[in-house]
Amino acid sequence: MRVQTIAIARNAFREAVRDRVLYNLILFALLLIGSAIFLGELSAGQEAKIIVDLGLSAMLLFGAFIAIFVGVGLVYKEIERRTLYTILSKPVGRGQFLLGKYLGLSLTLLVNVAVMGLGVTLALVYVRRGWDPLAWKLWPAVLLIYAELLIITAVALLFSSFSSPALSALLTFFVFIIGHFSADLKMLGANSSSLATRWLFQGLYYLLPNLSNYSVITTAAHGVVPDTSSTVAAMAYAVAYIVVLLSAAGLIFRRRNFK
Amino acid sequence: MMKRDLTLAIILVSALGAAVMLSRWLDNRRTSTAASLGEEQLYLDGATARRLTLGFNGLAADWYWMRSLQYLGRKIVNYQDTHAGQFQLNNLSTLELRLLPQLLEVTTTLDPQFIAAYEYGAVILPEVNREAAVALLNRGIAANPSSWRLYQHLGYIYWQNQDYEKASETYAAGAKLPGAPAWMTAMAARMKADRGSRDAAREMYRHLAESSSDNAIKEMVAHQIMRLDALDERDLIRKLIGDFRAETGRCPQTWRELANRFHGTRLRIDSLSNAPVDPTDLPYRLMNNGCDVDLDPYSKVSR
Repeated sequence: MRVQTIAIARNAFREAVRDRVLYNLILFALLLIGSAIFLGELSAGQEAKIIVDLGLSAMLLFGAFIAIFVGVGLVYKEIERRTLYTILSKPVGRGQFLLGKYLGLSLTLLVNVAVMGLGVTLALVYVRRGWDPLAWKLWPAVLLIYAELLIITAVALLFSSFSSPALSALLTFFVFIIGHFSADLKMLGANSSSLATRWLFQGLYYLLPNLSNYSVITTAAHGVVPDTSSTVAAMAYAVAYIVVLLSAAGLIFRRRNFK
Repeated sequence: MMKRDLTLAIILVSALGAAVMLSRWLDNRRTSTAASLGEEQLYLDGATARRLTLGFNGLAADWYWMRSLQYLGRKIVNYQDTHAGQFQLNNLSTLELRLLPQLLEVTTTLDPQFIAAYEYGAVILPEVNREAAVALLNRGIAANPSSWRLYQHLGYIYWQNQDYEKASETYAAGAKLPGAPAWMTAMAARMKADRGSRDAAREMYRHLAESSSDNAIKEMVAHQIMRLDALDERDLIRKLIGDFRAETGRCPQTWRELANRFHGTRLRIDSLSNAPVDPTDLPYRLMNNGCDVDLDPYSKVSR
């Protein structure tokens, strides 16, 4: 059972590479090189902070685009090409198929994030003309960005298990935005005088992913490392939320009629 | 096939050229409108901007930070284009930097830990809007209560405003923070004792330069220290002129007449003209029939 999942994951990764998903790294490299060269004149001594802000923000943005646009096509492409029937005719469960696809894209994102993290580190060393402690202090933020991307991928996979790619992309994008407004949802609920409204907003707050847990880019640019307990809790939250999303996707996908 | 490719390539290049030319024509037409829009109030306040940037508030803060720098830079360039002589940083009030307080407010709301933006505000804003400068620094202290450098900058604003009591209190509050250098305590005492003295000012500027990594701040401090040195030098020269006058009953008509008196002083003398030189190496000028001294009109030292 594990072997089939790994095989699907490996295949999903290969497919992403074949689809030139990792070409975004070239754009990222150009962005960083350009910034490293020109920021000195524009930022009045704040090159290091801006390089980290820019690098980590681009990492999140590019990663989110990959997670959304590749994530929503993971299942749909297999249905469209009718390769899904061949796969499912083998001893492969629908849940295994979904999990494999998810792991494949997660691996793609891992490579993407790791290479980008290395790129930011090198750009920092370049602008500082030597080693800067910020270069290692940014890695916990990279880890948390990766966790956020894993959640977005799971959201995309959930929507794509029952909807068209365009609608799935749109819905995932909405979740990405609302996920960053979760504190406002909580506040809206707390400030409401109506009990029903309060319950509604509180329900939405807990139902939707709280992506503000992973918004550490700004503090990372100041060399502030998030404390271990909150990092571990944020990672555990990501795992729990991903389990929920993949289970829901599995439940829907198992009932889906492909005839 | 080859002919068709060539035709397409020619069309592509021609169309691109036309697009560039049209773009330039449109830009030229837009200049007057853009200049007025440049002074328009920002559409978003800091809190709204922070909410709308999702997790990218740091990057947005960097954008507003660079916009603040460009805003000031553009104003200085425009000033130099329309006025004779070099622009001096103590002349900031002439630039009408109306948007600067708001730009810095948005920058620091988006990224409350952006210490460089507070430092920049502390140096530039008092000339534009002192209340906004104090408010910016107080917000910075609230967001970064352990940063003694922000207390130092706030103390500097109060000192500039000749509010020596508040300057002293601010230095004393900053001195209590962990990591604050010992001179913060000394400065707190000095604000009370020496108040507006040049030595106190010189020490304040020296610490400001030492604790800042911003080249613009270091440059501003260097100018201010040169101004203080030039003030001291002119006081000394006036004293020597006074001594000469007491002895001879008249003012000196040339520097040569004072040459002997310059020996043993800390004045630097131009070997050709015997004139004492200011910190930028330009000779001072005798004024009022030799009874007073002033900077050369081309001197870069602030008056």
